[in-house]
Amino acid sequence: MTLLELEGVRKSYEDEDVLRGVSFAMDRQDVEVIVGPSGSGKSTLLRCVNRLTEIDDGAIYLDGEEIHGIDENDLRRRVGMVFQDFNLFAHRTARGNVTLGLTAVLGLSKPEAVERADDYLDRVGLADQADSYPAELSGGQKQRVGIARALAMDPELILFDEPTSALDPELIGEVLGVMRDLAEGGTTMLCVTHEMGFARSAASTLTFLDDGRVVERGPPEQLFENPREDRTRSFLGQLTDLER
Amino acid sequence: MGLALTGTAALGVCDWAATTGNPPLQTGDWAFVVGNWEVLLLGTLVTVLLTATSLALGFLAGFPAGTVEVYGTGRLRDAVSTAGVLLRGTPVVVLIVLFFFGLPIPRLLTLPVLDVRLDVFLAATLALGFRSAAYQSQVFRGAIQSIDEGQLAAARSVGMTQRQAIRHVVFPQAVRRSIPGFQNEFTIVLKDTSVAFAIGLAELLTRAENLYLQPGRDTAIMEVILAISAIYFVLTFTTNRTIDYLGDAYAIPGGDE
Repeated sequence: MTLLELEGVRKSYEDEDVLRGVSFAMDRQDVEVIVGPSGSGKSTLLRCVNRLTEIDDGAIYLDGEEIHGIDENDLRRRVGMVFQDFNLFAHRTARGNVTLGLTAVLGLSKPEAVERADDYLDRVGLADQADSYPAELSGGQKQRVGIARALAMDPELILFDEPTSALDPELIGEVLGVMRDLAEGGTTMLCVTHEMGFARSAASTLTFLDDGRVVERGPPEQLFENPREDRTRSFLGQLTDLER
Repeated sequence: MGLALTGTAALGVCDWAATTGNPPLQTGDWAFVVGNWEVLLLGTLVTVLLTATSLALGFLAGFPAGTVEVYGTGRLRDAVSTAGVLLRGTPVVVLIVLFFFGLPIPRLLTLPVLDVRLDVFLAATLALGFRSAAYQSQVFRGAIQSIDEGQLAAARSVGMTQRQAIRHVVFPQAVRRSIPGFQNEFTIVLKDTSVAFAIGLAELLTRAENLYLQPGRDTAIMEVILAISAIYFVLTFTTNRTIDYLGDAYAIPGGDE
């Protein structure tokens, strides 16, 4: 069943066309991975989906409803986001980062929010760090708090904007591990990432975006082993070489 | 000419001494300072009170003003930033005189014990308070702008309104980052309460002046001035230390991101 559908999405900043008509659809429980060179519009695309950025043309449907007809705060409650730079609230503990949305947006009581926050922190392996402040956590731990913060809102879809790009190499694994668990648990995820291993093993669909357009889209095995487009082959070839 | 002046001055002193019966004191007039401790204490109380009311007004007007300068739009923002420029660009003595004579403040009662006219005190509070607001707004504006935009995006991404995000995420951090600038402002306002002497408010400097301007007491000028300098210093020093302590107590563990 289709959860998210993009139809001819366009976005430009001044003279630069960042998205030039992007269309695709994903089902519930899909893990859609978007790859592409920097500047190809991947992050902009994600931000259009939760309306942190407004599109110029086209349409985006969430569960059949055009998102510009939904109150932006309601939309964002239903579509979580995990950021490259974590963007944790620096003045709140790991637990406080998770509870804030629960109390301020969902209206949970403090004890309910704490119980739920602790539950999600436990799921990302941070039960013992609930009282730590962001500055006291490693990058991998911060990102797992970021994931718990998004998850706890119980969204229908979570957007991941290069969640491991700001991490030291040895910390990437713990974040990808959490993302794999989510994928296997049926969380609907739209991920921009350079982690080819994750794309290959966890993605249900892989999309190669270049210059604001979808160049090729399909099951990851097909794009890796048998791409139709030369650009896909050379881009994925480069990234896969890097991993060796 | 010079001789004539000296002669007149000397004559004046002699005259004062003759009429009051006090021989002019020459040096080491500390006994005079100590003997008038009550006057200086009352002056200190007025100074502290005026500092408190001015800073409070400065905060109550300055915090929203700084917020408007960052998040506001259109005429409101223009009005706020213009008011700030005007207040910061006017000497504080001019402001205080302007507020006292320019505002239609009716003559009010005189506070007992402190012997301060309420309308004079009000004019001084308004002048010092709004000027402080103009500076405090810049402290808060800078602090708000220093909070990483990403945190705001993260707050919006869980469905918070702009207002909620500012209140729950930006303000708590901005207030902490304002502490050093606020300390500065506190010190400046405390010392600038002394310009209220221009409208005759009986704060510390005014009372000190009244002491050494008494007939025959011009020998005690240095002693009185040094004494009130020490009082101003102790007030700024202890308060700054207290704010340091509070800043540490409420600091974010592990430091800012």
